[in-house]
Amino acid sequence: MPPYQISEKGEAAMGKTIIMKIMERAAGRPVKIGERVWCNVDLASARDFGGANCVLQFEKEMGMEAKVWDPDKIAYTFDLQAPAHSEKVANNQKIIREFAKRQGIKHVFDVNHGVGQHVMLEAGLMKPGDVVLGTDSHMNLLGSMGIFATGVGNSDVAAAYIAGTAWFRVPETMKIVVTGKFKKGVCMRDLLTKIIGDLGAGGMDYLAVEFTGETIENASVAERITLCSMVTEMSGKVPLIMPNGEALEWLAARAGEEVRERVKLLAADPDAPYIKELHYDVTDLEPMASCPDAPDNVRTVREVAGTHVDQVHIGSCSNGRYEDMKAAYDVLMAGGGVVHPGTRVIITPSTTEVQMQCVREGLALKFLEAGIVFTNPTCALCTAEHYGAMPKGDVGIATNNRNFIGKVGKGSHTYLMSPMAAMASALRGEITDPRDILGE
Amino acid sequence: MSKQTGRAFVFGDDVDTDLIYHNKYLAETDPAQMPQYSFEYYPGHENFAKEVKPGDFVVAGKNFGCGSSREHAVYCLQYAGVPCVLAETCSRIYYRNAINNGYPVLFVKGLSDAIKSGKIKNGDTLEVDLAAGSVRDTVTGEEFHGDAVSDLEHEIMEAGGLFGYMKKQAATKK
Repeated sequence: MPPYQISEKGEAAMGKTIIMKIMERAAGRPVKIGERVWCNVDLASARDFGGANCVLQFEKEMGMEAKVWDPDKIAYTFDLQAPAHSEKVANNQKIIREFAKRQGIKHVFDVNHGVGQHVMLEAGLMKPGDVVLGTDSHMNLLGSMGIFATGVGNSDVAAAYIAGTAWFRVPETMKIVVTGKFKKGVCMRDLLTKIIGDLGAGGMDYLAVEFTGETIENASVAERITLCSMVTEMSGKVPLIMPNGEALEWLAARAGEEVRERVKLLAADPDAPYIKELHYDVTDLEPMASCPDAPDNVRTVREVAGTHVDQVHIGSCSNGRYEDMKAAYDVLMAGGGVVHPGTRVIITPSTTEVQMQCVREGLALKFLEAGIVFTNPTCALCTAEHYGAMPKGDVGIATNNRNFIGKVGKGSHTYLMSPMAAMASALRGEITDPRDILGE
Repeated sequence: MSKQTGRAFVFGDDVDTDLIYHNKYLAETDPAQMPQYSFEYYPGHENFAKEVKPGDFVVAGKNFGCGSSREHAVYCLQYAGVPCVLAETCSRIYYRNAINNGYPVLFVKGLSDAIKSGKIKNGDTLEVDLAAGSVRDTVTGEEFHGDAVSDLEHEIMEAGGLFGYMKKQAATKK
């Protein structure tokens, strides 16, 4: 691919949004909103789920001798069911390993790594402006680093193996400006839940979404990831935040110095067209909850406080970073350091890097002493067939991004909340506002 | 060929992929095995897989197929012989996955309200003309109209899916 280039102005001398600039570079020509374009793909990833389907489909369609377009631009992450929970999954993982070996694909993150997007971000495989495919509908949380990542099925990934291309519609963009500072016990997850409650399951239908404003500019990598992790639950295509400050330094250290140049090139033009602009001030925001059985069924934690809880899970691609672990840990310690005896509590770091930090900083030991199951990094409860499945009638709390009907077990119900609210509830065995533990 | 008649299996808005094809069965890689799990978790439609016959239609409101990227949720209907999904809108990933397999999803205006008000009901016999984008409920007599797809999606569908399209493109270049 030629050096990173974007033309001066778009059609009709109009300003361009971030996604327009990304697609223009990837398509090698100016783009218009609403049109279909073929983009060059910078990274085509797949997981242990979907990955075997990609391999089998590619070989069936193109023949066993066919070569992928660029082995360095293909990656596999084993995260949904890692380590394998069944012979079938074990076999799927084997199919991927052997294909990667035959094709010379080196980026295989086996069962000892963690959640795909997080692992590949830590490994420095992606830069702002890159076009990334993945068999994970939450792939787009990588927009937290200015990457156009999108969840697709096995056909899109397998077809990209042929020539490194994928088709897209150039989306309209919504802009969300966030100001203010969170009060104690309130965090980015609560803002995200608030937005989902306001906009609903179809509220970002087919849109790119740019998050901006002082709260975003001051946010950590972990907070940015959280905020971008549920745009899919509002039917959005991709959230986008241009890295700055601490997040930019974090990424440049991993993905290289070119990141700095990209960030400048990709910034939205002042006269870029937005279909809608929303403003949120987080100053008076309260802890929020997505109630059963839909992410957009939102109330404040106070409104549902007192509800009995059988299981609490902290982790996932939404809230599995070290900062999330630390936020939960601080509530645990403030609340006496032992979880309620009638509540099963599972904590799952998103990556081995996060897990190691939890061990180094002493969190892991405290979690274990508290009566918590502290697991290896994986997608855990995001599949009913791994661990943490719930029986009929049980009520759970999770920091995951979905609580669809029966997702972690037929007849069970899940509330989605922040790590702080989840841990506060784990301490008392019932839904608890974290401010009741931490003070206001 | 263009006009098809079949029974309607009617669903609501925001039907997520866990309801269409539960994550419990994600390890399956053979599309022909996927229909047996269709809608197993959808309250009231748990027996869909046993009851559905080739030629029956899946009818839904807004945002059909929201949630996961699993292509299983398309295969499980396609391989069951459901000729197409009729929905007011569907999620972008579901839409891509359908198009990429040459599987038609007809976006039908007013379907969400029609389902809520009983203008199209479970078990009704439908006449569907995919080429014309028209849907008629022969029991209630109500008629509905769908949107045409864009040129590129149409070309991918015509080629039988994304692989067919890519191969055709490669052949033209030679």
